[in-house]
Amino acid sequence: MKKKIGAIFMAGVMACTVAATLGLAGCGASGGSAGTFEMPEGGFDVNKPVTISFYHTMGQTLRDKLDYQIAEFNKLFPNITVKQSKLGTYDDINGQIKTEIIGGNQPNITYCYGDHVADYNRSNAVLVLNDFLPGGAYENYKITLQSGEEYNLGMTQEEEDMFIEGFYNEGKQFGDGSKMYMLPFAKSTEVLYYNETYFLENGYEVPTTWEEMWTLCGKIKAAETAKAKEEGKENTDCIPLGYDSEANWFITMCKQLGTPYTQATGAPQDRFQFNTPENRAFVADLKEKFDLGYFTTQELNNGSYTSSLFTAQTCFMCIGSTAGGQYQKPPLQGTEYAFNVGIAQIPQVDPAHPYAISQGPSVCIFNKKDPQEVLASWLLVKYLTTNVEFQADFSIDSGYMPPLKEEIMTAFAPYKTELDKKNGTDHLAALAADMCLKNADAYFTSPAFLGSSQARQQVGSLMTAVLGGTDINTAFSDAVNRCVQYLT
Amino acid sequence: MSDEKIVTEEAEALVASEQTEAPAADGGKKQKKPPLSKEEKKILWQARWSRWKAWVYLLPAIVILGIFTVWPIINTVRISFMGQWTTEGGSTWWEGYSYSAALNPNTHYVFGFNNFSSVVSDIDFVTCLTNTLLLTVITVPISTMLALLIAVALNSIKPLRKVFQTIFFLPYVTNSIAIGMVFAAMFQMVWPNPTGEPMSVGIINTIIEAFGGTRINWMNQGSSHFANMVVLVIYIVWNALPFKILVLLGGLQSVNKQYYDAAKVDGTSRFRTFWRITVPLLSPMIAYVVITGFIGGFKEYTSIVGIFGEKMGPVGNDWSLDTMVGYIYKSMGVSEGKAGAAALILFVIIFAVTMVNLYVSKKKVHY
Amino acid sequence: MSEETMVLETVDTAPEEAAKEPSKGAPAPKNDIEKTSKKQKVVKVFVYIGLYTFLTLVAITVLFPFYWMLISSLKSLDEYNRTVPTLWPTQFVWSNYGAAFTGGLNLGRLFLNTVIVGVVSTLLSLVVTVLSAYAFARLEFRGKNLMFGAMLATMMIPGELFTISNYLTVSEFGWLNTFTALIVPFLVSVFYIYLLRQNFMQIPNELYLAAKVDGTSDLKYLWKVMIPLAAPTLISITILKMMGSWNSYIWPRLVANDDLHRLITVGLRDPSAFIYVDPATGMTTNLVNFPAQMAAVVLVTIPLLLVFMFFRKYIMRGVSRSGLKG
Repeated sequence: MKKKIGAIFMAGVMACTVAATLGLAGCGASGGSAGTFEMPEGGFDVNKPVTISFYHTMGQTLRDKLDYQIAEFNKLFPNITVKQSKLGTYDDINGQIKTEIIGGNQPNITYCYGDHVADYNRSNAVLVLNDFLPGGAYENYKITLQSGEEYNLGMTQEEEDMFIEGFYNEGKQFGDGSKMYMLPFAKSTEVLYYNETYFLENGYEVPTTWEEMWTLCGKIKAAETAKAKEEGKENTDCIPLGYDSEANWFITMCKQLGTPYTQATGAPQDRFQFNTPENRAFVADLKEKFDLGYFTTQELNNGSYTSSLFTAQTCFMCIGSTAGGQYQKPPLQGTEYAFNVGIAQIPQVDPAHPYAISQGPSVCIFNKKDPQEVLASWLLVKYLTTNVEFQADFSIDSGYMPPLKEEIMTAFAPYKTELDKKNGTDHLAALAADMCLKNADAYFTSPAFLGSSQARQQVGSLMTAVLGGTDINTAFSDAVNRCVQYLT
Repeated sequence: MSDEKIVTEEAEALVASEQTEAPAADGGKKQKKPPLSKEEKKILWQARWSRWKAWVYLLPAIVILGIFTVWPIINTVRISFMGQWTTEGGSTWWEGYSYSAALNPNTHYVFGFNNFSSVVSDIDFVTCLTNTLLLTVITVPISTMLALLIAVALNSIKPLRKVFQTIFFLPYVTNSIAIGMVFAAMFQMVWPNPTGEPMSVGIINTIIEAFGGTRINWMNQGSSHFANMVVLVIYIVWNALPFKILVLLGGLQSVNKQYYDAAKVDGTSRFRTFWRITVPLLSPMIAYVVITGFIGGFKEYTSIVGIFGEKMGPVGNDWSLDTMVGYIYKSMGVSEGKAGAAALILFVIIFAVTMVNLYVSKKKVHY
Repeated sequence: MSEETMVLETVDTAPEEAAKEPSKGAPAPKNDIEKTSKKQKVVKVFVYIGLYTFLTLVAITVLFPFYWMLISSLKSLDEYNRTVPTLWPTQFVWSNYGAAFTGGLNLGRLFLNTVIVGVVSTLLSLVVTVLSAYAFARLEFRGKNLMFGAMLATMMIPGELFTISNYLTVSEFGWLNTFTALIVPFLVSVFYIYLLRQNFMQIPNELYLAAKVDGTSDLKYLWKVMIPLAAPTLISITILKMMGSWNSYIWPRLVANDDLHRLITVGLRDPSAFIYVDPATGMTTNLVNFPAQMAAVVLVTIPLLLVFMFFRKYIMRGVSRSGLKG
């Protein structure tokens, strides 16, 4: 008797809990409808209050700029409330949204990279923008505002033409390339920062090819060693070049050499194509240069950006992001800067066909059950990305470059004034942004797919492993194996 | 499961005494059904209550554990056997269950053991398993011994005891961000030039050199796996100490002082007192610390991230220090099914070790 | 290996050795009492010197990171970023503490949230833990050992795996962005139940039987006898639980990341809340002011430290009570 009651009771409690949760989980998974959009009856309701959320990584100054633009946006659409949330880093946003999607709680708009969108697309959570773009169903769909004016919902050809084509097309880098998933928000790339003062003193030319780069490194190393010996030291601390991102270096070299890196489709073992003789050869070559003391990287510099070595004049060249321009600023000595900074395009294999990696956040919109939210999200995204004033403000404060064409940006007087101030010291960010604009044709991205972020991480590890003395063949095959195992 | 293992003679005695009571109460209830005096009602109610009260006491714990622990476990077991066959580019491969991909209407999951086979055949799996086992087997005995020594030492001094007690608990109020940074700074060497001489050597190497030794590359590029493990062991032991001291000291202080007084009168030596009285009296606490230490050790992850970063290894040797939980995290990025399979494998290992622990402690622990 | 061998090794290599050697010899010169007591005194002094040296060394190791946190909060950003860390700030930058407040963080609100969650979850957790530990230690019921074994087994599965499943559950319950989501899922810790059960089982059984004979109810016995006797363990659990709430990060960020419910760790780990303002120009930069972040860490640590100091008194009181004749 006693036994039975206890057992029944226990079983009952457990069963209830399990049943309750099972039931919950059963209906928990929803929200991942197909990627295309269906216009609700009556279109966008300009009177019904709707709240949309926006995840980003903007600091306070940028958030103030965004708040100002949202207020302007609200003059057109007073019914839309925008809730912006700042999360720590891009990876934090990615992690948070990946979980939120499972519960159907993802935000409406978010900062994103191609790799992230590939992640979100596993559940079909990202809105396909094609319907709202030129040639799409809603290109010329009109909304009557509260003020009675007509407002174009879709993006017109004229608006699309404002974007730098390369950046705009990054939104289509998924699957067969026909669907547009994201719009560029702010852009950055890698450039070569050099110590202009030092270069002028010694009559060095800024290298445009890798060959020139290594010759110059040899010269600098020899000169600095001689100088150190004169001072009675055994060796010099000088490392001519610092390259921040090992992964970017590998990917950029593949692009410049025209050798394979990854592809977005196919069997897992076919997607990670970087284990080729040519790639092993360039990494072996880098290892040789590294052993000569020609360069260092962020990881090898104890994880801190090589800009710290550049400003301390241990490095005389530094390849890093344009968005980090302000970190390349040398310390003030009294009222003068220790040296002038020059900016150039990164060295190339073939200067006639230059390549530099494209970075910086894009934005994507998530599918939601309420079509009003989706429409409101699209309206805000279109408003912000094609807004010259906002793009100028954002760029000036952050050092990122606008994804809009140079002539459009420079036609905007305040931006032009800021760009004209560019110099190698006080206005380094402007100089970097200017450099960025001038090389718009050189930008490329690598394919985004499930596993592309893994590939990126693995080639970075591969570089540090080889530079640290690991056998090249082992390092390459381990990296490919890890990528393939990630998918299978 | 652990049925017999945890039962103590004392508990068995209680079972016996309750069982003799219970039938009497049952019998009383059946015989005199209609006329129940107040007194009898009370007895009856008490009898009923005594049957149920344990479950009432446990109810909150059972409900919460059921929802937030048991259900996720059931779920984990379920999905660790799920995945789908994907065909692309002329080849077919197994894709482990993913919560997000499951939302896609085109996904059709089937059951199978492939998550387990892909985990076991992974080149990193053996590394993760070895690292985990090594770290646990080394750190648990060291930290338990040290903590026991410290607790006994604390318990046998009077002046400054409060001060020391406070100090030993301080790590609890120290933020983990700070601790990781400090350890890195203590062991790290900084090179401005990777091919040249280090610019600075951490405090540890400075001390070694002061005593005439040669400095060791503990955790930087080119450091040996052995040196990395030494750093980790020190850090993990350091981290584990406060909790163990807290538990053991708590146990020591609730030990009846009479035992010690008796020992003193008998003129028993300190060593004998420690060995014959302290350790047996503390044995439940020691067993607790060892068992939870093993369980915690198998789940080691954050210490490695704290010192070596998310790539789980020194520069140039990423993932060389990865552990089972690190492996699970990495797998979760793409497939929760695969992560679940790895977790189940880890569970089986922990379970086996805990059973051995419980078996040993049943023989040695005195309640 | 069993605890037996471990402890033996410990004794061989540690200061205890000082105690072991002479005391072995102690019974030998029984007739010469004066000599023995003198010898014992010398031994005692050595033992104490050994003990204090040992404890001091451990204390220094334990204190170092704490010290590091404090000095880091007083360094200038430049000094903080130096590749060769300095052991003592070359100049004390007290303004870091001001910067911790003027940053983007609403420290007061974050702290209040953390205190609410910490206190409520600690109290509830104590109730649940005491009841369960009592049931496992003193009551008899069918399936007790099976139940206890099953609970122990749940500890062995890495909890990281539960995150997504629990997120779904909490989201279905409509608990997102509430304190409930921060408190309830982690209310039961098998670790604590196990710890307290071990402690309860140490309490002599005669006490319980005597109480039963006296007609004392279980709850009364629990309240009057068990809890005071297990006070040190309960305090330990309190501290552990409080610290757990204080250090949790991944879950709170996931389920409660709005201004009304955000916890302090989530705020503290946000580098953009501590933007460095160049003191020379008064301009905001893109640099993270890590010393100010450390200062904020110190600021929120101090109240915890005070709470702990207060509890330590209770530990002592609990100890003195447990000396009662059993």
